[in-house]
Amino acid sequence: MTSTIPTVIRVGKTAEGQQVNGLFFTGEDATAHEVALTINPMRDVLEIRGRGQVVDWHLSDVRLVPDQAGRQGLVLRAASDPTARVLTNDRVLAQGFPALHKRIADAPRARLAKWAVAALASVALIIFVLVPIMANQLANFIPPAGEKALGDATLEQIKSALGSEAISVKTCTNADGLVALNQMQARLSDHTDLPVPLTVTVLDHKMVNAFALPGGHVVFMRGLIDEAEAPEEVAAVFAHEIGHVVSRDPTRHALRSAGSIGVLGLLFGDFAGGALVLFLTEQLIEAQYSQGAEVAADAFAHDMLAKAEVEPAALGAMFKRLKAKYGDTDGIQAHFISHPRMAERIEAADHATPEGFVAKPILTAEAWKDLQGICN
Amino acid sequence: MIHLSSSDRPINGGPWQQGGADSHLRDTDVIPTQNRQQDLPDVEGLQGDFIGRRGRIFGLALKTSIFTVLTLGIYRFWMKTRMRRWYWSAVRVGGVPGEYVGDPFEKLLGFLIAVVILAFYIGIVNLLLMFLSYSFFQDNFAAYLLSFVGVVPLWFYATYRARRYVLARTRWRGIRFGLEPGAWGYAWRALVHWGLTLLTAGVLWPRMTFWLEKYKTDRTWYGDVRLEQEGRWQMLFPAVRHVLLPTIVGGICAIAGAYANPALFLVTAACGVWFAFGIVYYRVKSWEILTNAKRAGDIVFRAQPSPGRVFWIYVGGYFLSGFVASIFLGGFFLAAAIAAGIFSEIGASVEALAKIGEGAFAVAGVATYFAIFLIWTAMAHAFITMPLWKHYAETLTVIDPGQIGAISQRPRDEFEEAEGFAEALDVGAAI
Repeated sequence: MTSTIPTVIRVGKTAEGQQVNGLFFTGEDATAHEVALTINPMRDVLEIRGRGQVVDWHLSDVRLVPDQAGRQGLVLRAASDPTARVLTNDRVLAQGFPALHKRIADAPRARLAKWAVAALASVALIIFVLVPIMANQLANFIPPAGEKALGDATLEQIKSALGSEAISVKTCTNADGLVALNQMQARLSDHTDLPVPLTVTVLDHKMVNAFALPGGHVVFMRGLIDEAEAPEEVAAVFAHEIGHVVSRDPTRHALRSAGSIGVLGLLFGDFAGGALVLFLTEQLIEAQYSQGAEVAADAFAHDMLAKAEVEPAALGAMFKRLKAKYGDTDGIQAHFISHPRMAERIEAADHATPEGFVAKPILTAEAWKDLQGICN
Repeated sequence: MIHLSSSDRPINGGPWQQGGADSHLRDTDVIPTQNRQQDLPDVEGLQGDFIGRRGRIFGLALKTSIFTVLTLGIYRFWMKTRMRRWYWSAVRVGGVPGEYVGDPFEKLLGFLIAVVILAFYIGIVNLLLMFLSYSFFQDNFAAYLLSFVGVVPLWFYATYRARRYVLARTRWRGIRFGLEPGAWGYAWRALVHWGLTLLTAGVLWPRMTFWLEKYKTDRTWYGDVRLEQEGRWQMLFPAVRHVLLPTIVGGICAIAGAYANPALFLVTAACGVWFAFGIVYYRVKSWEILTNAKRAGDIVFRAQPSPGRVFWIYVGGYFLSGFVASIFLGGFFLAAAIAAGIFSEIGASVEALAKIGEGAFAVAGVATYFAIFLIWTAMAHAFITMPLWKHYAETLTVIDPGQIGAISQRPRDEFEEAEGFAEALDVGAAI
């Protein structure tokens, strides 16, 4: 049986003293009580009167149940009573309640802070302590074939990420260029024992960058070779990346990402564009743990270059030009770049040249030309 | 105008109780559930209704998802709470709106609890799996597979827990709903049923639908009344016909097309659309059959949703939402292309564009990227979720032989973990 509440009987001009009809639910059972609702200004209460129902709600205690889809009528509750409800299809009473929109906290919130701290602490513990420790340990145990496969998979991912649409970025294969690159590699590694054979790749991309991947991968971007003014500068970057290979930084990094990406995905969830925030955060974490590794790779490069009779300051020369072109990475941006600030690295490279050092050119002028044309 | 029910009448009143002492007999115990409705001709039902307006939910969804983006996702607990309050209050049965009383803080708390547990599992287990997978298989496929398989039981577990939380925070006529604990029982049953369904190429799908629904329904309470799922799983077979028929016809035509007349491939293509309709038809029809075979004490239900209507809501809603979102997608690609420097590479760079700088375009690209998600969310609520709710609500009748007023309150289910696991695992829910 449904019935429509009869039209409002207007007694006064304001909400006070007016009587409207409504439904009252006590919160004890599902019975709908037909009631008359009156604001009594003398007693400061909303009088709820029906058959067997005599209930008073203090006016300052009356709240509107929030986010109602209905635009006519009111769904009311008392702040002190979590379950009782009054429904009326007239809004005239609304002006009589001073705290209609005041917030009520029904759920206990005391434990929230404790759990919030515990949650963030344990996530921090996992990402910054547990996962790195495990990654560092496991990186020493992963068999060479597995490490190589990990590097191959990562290189493929990077190639398709850098390419446009479905076309991966091109690998440079000019024969003369590769010969020059091999010469450079031989000269650098002659005096240093390497734990894994190197796989060197040049990608046809204008980005000024080079990086190492698990399993002895060293990858140059064409932009870096274009930017360099002397082959020694390329060799310096090469030595730096070999430094990463030797310390197995890329393997640690790949294992660390495998652990931390999932956890971050958990935290940020699938809200609009969550993937983007995820990416930025991952970058931030990266900078946290690879600064030390970068400094170590620089030191390795200085040593390797000196042994190969290349002036270690060549590393600094490359950085100087980048700094002049792009500026130092101070400020907000610095957090998103995984390398230590260039000024410090230039200085370190300049100081790394031993006294009375005599440099030998790493490539002939002709071989350097070949290397510059490796992507042609 | 709200139509408020006046079903507070005494239990012994009302025209349907003229039978006197027999009235407590549950006539539906002796008749097949499908025929139940014809046997209750005199009982006036509490008609379902939906009073929400499209513009309001569009605005609410847009506003709350902007806040969600601006707060890096923290506001999503408030967004979910507010959207649910709105939807629940829009549904009226017998003129009385539902009410959602979930609290955003308890959702945040539940989420944090789940994160503490899951972060360990996902961080450490994924790392180990990746290591083992590369060490033994020189590949990451095994890691992804095992990682996925490990999450599946958790996913069902989370689904049940989320349902328990939502029901515990749902009220109608001032009375709480509730769901008994039983998430692990649900998880293993769901795993077995899914296994059987996959093994039988979908033939036992109705069996899974029925038994999982029965598991949930039989543990659901409204106040002090327990709901019951009646009927047999075989009653869902008619609902599956528009899935089976296009599969058979499409398959035969594909074979015939390959060996005889290639024009028959057109029939196979048409069967694809038919199949899509069949999936919707099954969901709507099985919901109808199952709802009509539910009872809460003597209270029964009559659901009459139209599969065709629901299908068109999906088609129209997705088309419209996709169309509007794709307008933004065009802007996104433009900005992204400029940011990526493609313009300068193909020599189309204009002096003015270069001055604005690639950074500005990158920012514009990011902003558009978010805008697409925001627009999509709001459009999907206004043109898919809301029309679906409206249709299901308007075609539902609750048939109460005067018992409803006697239902008493049930105690509050504190359930601190709330729907944290579902939130952390992104267990899909419309809202």
